[in-house]
Amino acid sequence: IETARIFDFEEFPVRDKVTYMYYTGRLEVFNENFSAADHKLSYALTHCNPHSEANIRMILKYLIPVKLSVGILPKNSLLEKYNLVEYSNVVQALKRGDLRLLRHALQEHEDGFLRSGVYLVLEKLELQVYQRLVKKIYIIQKQKDPSKAHQIKLEVIVKALKWLEMDMDVDEVECIMSILIYKNLVKGYFAHKSKVVVLSKQDPFPKLNGQN
Amino acid sequence: DEKEGKETAQQWEDDWDDDDVNDDFSLQLKKELENNTEKS
Repeated sequence: IETARIFDFEEFPVRDKVTYMYYTGRLEVFNENFSAADHKLSYALTHCNPHSEANIRMILKYLIPVKLSVGILPKNSLLEKYNLVEYSNVVQALKRGDLRLLRHALQEHEDGFLRSGVYLVLEKLELQVYQRLVKKIYIIQKQKDPSKAHQIKLEVIVKALKWLEMDMDVDEVECIMSILIYKNLVKGYFAHKSKVVVLSKQDPFPKLNGQN
Repeated sequence: DEKEGKETAQQWEDDWDDDDVNDDFSLQLKKELENNTEKS
C-alpha cells in the first residue's frame, strides 16, 4: 500500500500558489488572523502577474483592510492606481483621528464593503481612530502646558467628540478609554473621582505590533 | 515584471503616526478645545 504523498507547496506552479494564497488569505481575513492574512495576501500580491490589474485590485481589496488593522496605510498613489478610492477617506480618518469621517466613509461605501465582507474589519478601526484623536488632544495640551499634558480630562474628550457629532457623556467616554487601555492602545490609568485619564509618561500611545 | 510587483508591494506607509498638529483638522480641534476651556 502506498501512502499518500505529501506535496511540497513549492512544487506547484506559481499561478496556482498565488490562487491558493489569495483564497486562504481571504479566509484568514474573516477569521481575523491578520498576520496570517497579511503574509498570504502579500505573497499573492508579489507573485501575481503584475500586468493583471484586475487581479491586483482583487488582492488589494482584502490586503488593505488587513494592513489598516495592523496600523499600516496604503499610499494614495496605490489607491488611485487600482481604483480603490473607497479607502481614501478611511485612511484619512485614521491619520486625523476623525471619527466623523470614518463613520461617513463606512456609510458611503457600506454596500461594497458588506459585499466583499470587509465591513466588520473596517468597523473595528474605530478604536485606532479614537487613539489618534486622544493623541492629538494630548499633543495640543502639551503645546500649551507640558507639565499637565499627561492628564486628560474626560470632559475634554467629550467636547472633542461633540464637535465630531458624537453625543457621549463622561461615563461613555470613560468606557471607551478603558477599552483603549485594555487593548494597549493607550497606556495610563483613571483618576476616577476627578474624571481624569492619567497617561503614562513613557510611550502613552503604543504602536500596533500586528498581533491583533 | 518582478520589479513592478515589488513596487506595488512597497506602496505602504508604516511610519505615518507623527506628532504634527498643524493640519486643518488638528487646528480646528485646537480651536474647539480652547473655546471650551474659556467657558468652564
